[in-house]
Amino acid sequence: MTDLESDDSLLLEFEDDDSESISNIDAPTDSKATHLDSDFANIPPHNVDTDDSEFDIDESQFSEDDLEDDYLVFPIKKTTKDLLDEDSLPSLKYECLTTQEIFDSMKRRVHHLQPVFSLPPQDILILMQRYDWNEERLLEEWTEKMDNLLIESGLNTSGESDGRGVKNGKEFFCPICCEEILTETFSLECGHEYCIDCYRHYIKDRLNHGKIITCMDCSLALKNEDIDQIMGGASSVKLMDSSIKSFIRKHSNSYKWCPYTDCKCIIHLKDTLSLQEYSRLHASRFVTCSMGHSFCFGCGFEIHAPADCRVTDQWVKKARLECENLNWVLSHTKECPRCSVNIEKNGGCNHMVCSSCRHEFCWICGGDWAPHGSSFYQCAIYKNEDKNKLVADTPKKTLRRYAFFYKMFTEHEVSAKLDWKLGETVGFKVKGLQEKIGVSWIEGQFLTESLKTLNEGRTALKWSFAVAYYSDPSHNLTKIFIDNQGLLSNAVESLSELLQIKSPEVIMKRRTEFYNKAGYVKNRTKALLECGRDLLRKGISKARE
Amino acid sequence: MASLPKRIIKETERLASDPVPGISAEPHEDNLRYFAVTIEGPEESPYENGVFELELYLPDDYPMEAPKVRFLTRIYHPNIDRLGRICLDVLKNNWSPALQIRTVLLSIQALLASPNPNDPLANDVAEEWIKNEELAISKAKEWTKLYAGKR
Ligand SMILES: [Zn+2]
Ligand SMILES: [Zn+2]
Ligand SMILES: [Zn+2]
Ligand SMILES: [Zn+2]
Ligand SMILES: [Zn+2]
Ligand SMILES: [Zn+2]
Ligand SMILES: [Zn+2]
Repeated sequence: MTDLESDDSLLLEFEDDDSESISNIDAPTDSKATHLDSDFANIPPHNVDTDDSEFDIDESQFSEDDLEDDYLVFPIKKTTKDLLDEDSLPSLKYECLTTQEIFDSMKRRVHHLQPVFSLPPQDILILMQRYDWNEERLLEEWTEKMDNLLIESGLNTSGESDGRGVKNGKEFFCPICCEEILTETFSLECGHEYCIDCYRHYIKDRLNHGKIITCMDCSLALKNEDIDQIMGGASSVKLMDSSIKSFIRKHSNSYKWCPYTDCKCIIHLKDTLSLQEYSRLHASRFVTCSMGHSFCFGCGFEIHAPADCRVTDQWVKKARLECENLNWVLSHTKECPRCSVNIEKNGGCNHMVCSSCRHEFCWICGGDWAPHGSSFYQCAIYKNEDKNKLVADTPKKTLRRYAFFYKMFTEHEVSAKLDWKLGETVGFKVKGLQEKIGVSWIEGQFLTESLKTLNEGRTALKWSFAVAYYSDPSHNLTKIFIDNQGLLSNAVESLSELLQIKSPEVIMKRRTEFYNKAGYVKNRTKALLECGRDLLRKGISKARE
Repeated sequence: MASLPKRIIKETERLASDPVPGISAEPHEDNLRYFAVTIEGPEESPYENGVFELELYLPDDYPMEAPKVRFLTRIYHPNIDRLGRICLDVLKNNWSPALQIRTVLLSIQALLASPNPNDPLANDVAEEWIKNEELAISKAKEWTKLYAGKR
């Protein structure tokens, strides 16, 4: 197995170790081990045995013919067809690969090209590397240049392979290290001969560069078999790995590394044409790698619907920019509007109670708490933003407005993280159901499914505040959107409560409640996402600096 | 300090016994991997009559890794920046262990003879060079007199 570096993978802003717990639940088998060692036939069919509408496994993918003929075909073909997508959107065709799998498909291409070149596969592999694995360009230039192309690529055209290879030990003066010792040597047909130690050192330094390694003194190319012969092992695998990595770097619009730390998955988007349609509809291209990590193919960020990539980008930039000011607004002590005593803000709640006169007020608007009711969403200021003229009078007010949205955003982020922790216990609960009351694994999956639904709802809720922030508060659709936020928020809280239940017996007894509440969250999430996309599409919500 | 590799000893000996015309390279007595180098400006170049001082260092991995070379004398050249760093392929991607100190210094001499403003390291110099070559050359001559005069 190759030693992949993840140095060029993006860092996910909101990712932390907790994310692992989710993927473990999604993939019941220890897919990590299998996946890393995956040779072609051995990729775990992710999510196949969960009752799952998210991915379609196309059986025809397994037929031999397809493997032979399709450019870069792998057994897992995924299409996103979950609630994050809309019927009008073309389904995203993508596959999750490793560098080894990409290289294997390149090898199959080499096999196909053999009749064209009538060269040994090793030589065609060199040509492919020289042309950055771009078969079309290679074939074009081949018809023009023929033998010149071989010479340019460092291939020997004399037809003789005399003198190529490792030679037995002898007294030898090596011009590189200038030592005269008893040693094995290596040379290509050019006759530039050096001691084996120098050659090993030379190759080792170059395995990670992803480029063809040549003779030390001329442009003749070392083939994979030469490299392995000199190194005394399968070192060329490393070179091919780095070569494929440089290929991925150069094709970043259709190949993306999974941004999760230490994940070695590469998502290959097969129909880059549908991307335009996606951005036209302000929908984002969310993909899931075979380790169960979901991210946006467009911006490499976490799933951020209903926000599109632009809103996400602006929102995140703003959060960074306002970071200092926000700390001030979010943590500043406040004077009680009635008795002017300084009150420290208590925890995450904006429901302030003066310690001196017991006056209850809202931290956001400073108004009486009474009309706010029990839910944060009821904040009169937020619901009737336009009427209360909070909007952008002074810089201070603008910042306070932003602080409100940012606060809601982070609050849901924190809740989502708590839900992930909840996820760990859900795994135990499923086990408990199995062991204590003999429920089958597949029957227990409604718990896992509910958790997944809960997470999707939370994420949608969280990012909906980015969309709402950029929305015109006086527009009717914005008000509908805010109502939708409230409804989803209540639905999510009630499902979250249900998931806290510990007793397996109670869980099984209230099983239909799980189905109903999860189903409701699903519908509410879908409604909020659609409404959010509408806001963006109609330009009511617009990302601005 | 680890003993000096045979390769470096050989090269040093040859630089002394069979010097390249217009180039000198002497190892520092405390550190035999560190060389004081001078290169004479090539004839019929803006650097003619100038003597340029450089420093050259052989890293631990030499000859697998290229020598590190830098101009100490100020020079007005599109491929050499204010810190004296040189943009030269054999010092970077095209380095091969079969090359030597001698070949590197010859390449630098050749770079003085034919500046390449299309592959610049010093962008402002390159820009001026492309905009008004005559002016750039006279400036290079002026700097040569100013900073690289024979002592
Ligand atoms: Zn050697
Ligand atoms: Zn050679
Ligand atoms: Zn991943
Ligand atoms: Zn995105
Ligand atoms: Zn008070
Ligand atoms: Zn409260
Ligand atoms: Zn309020």
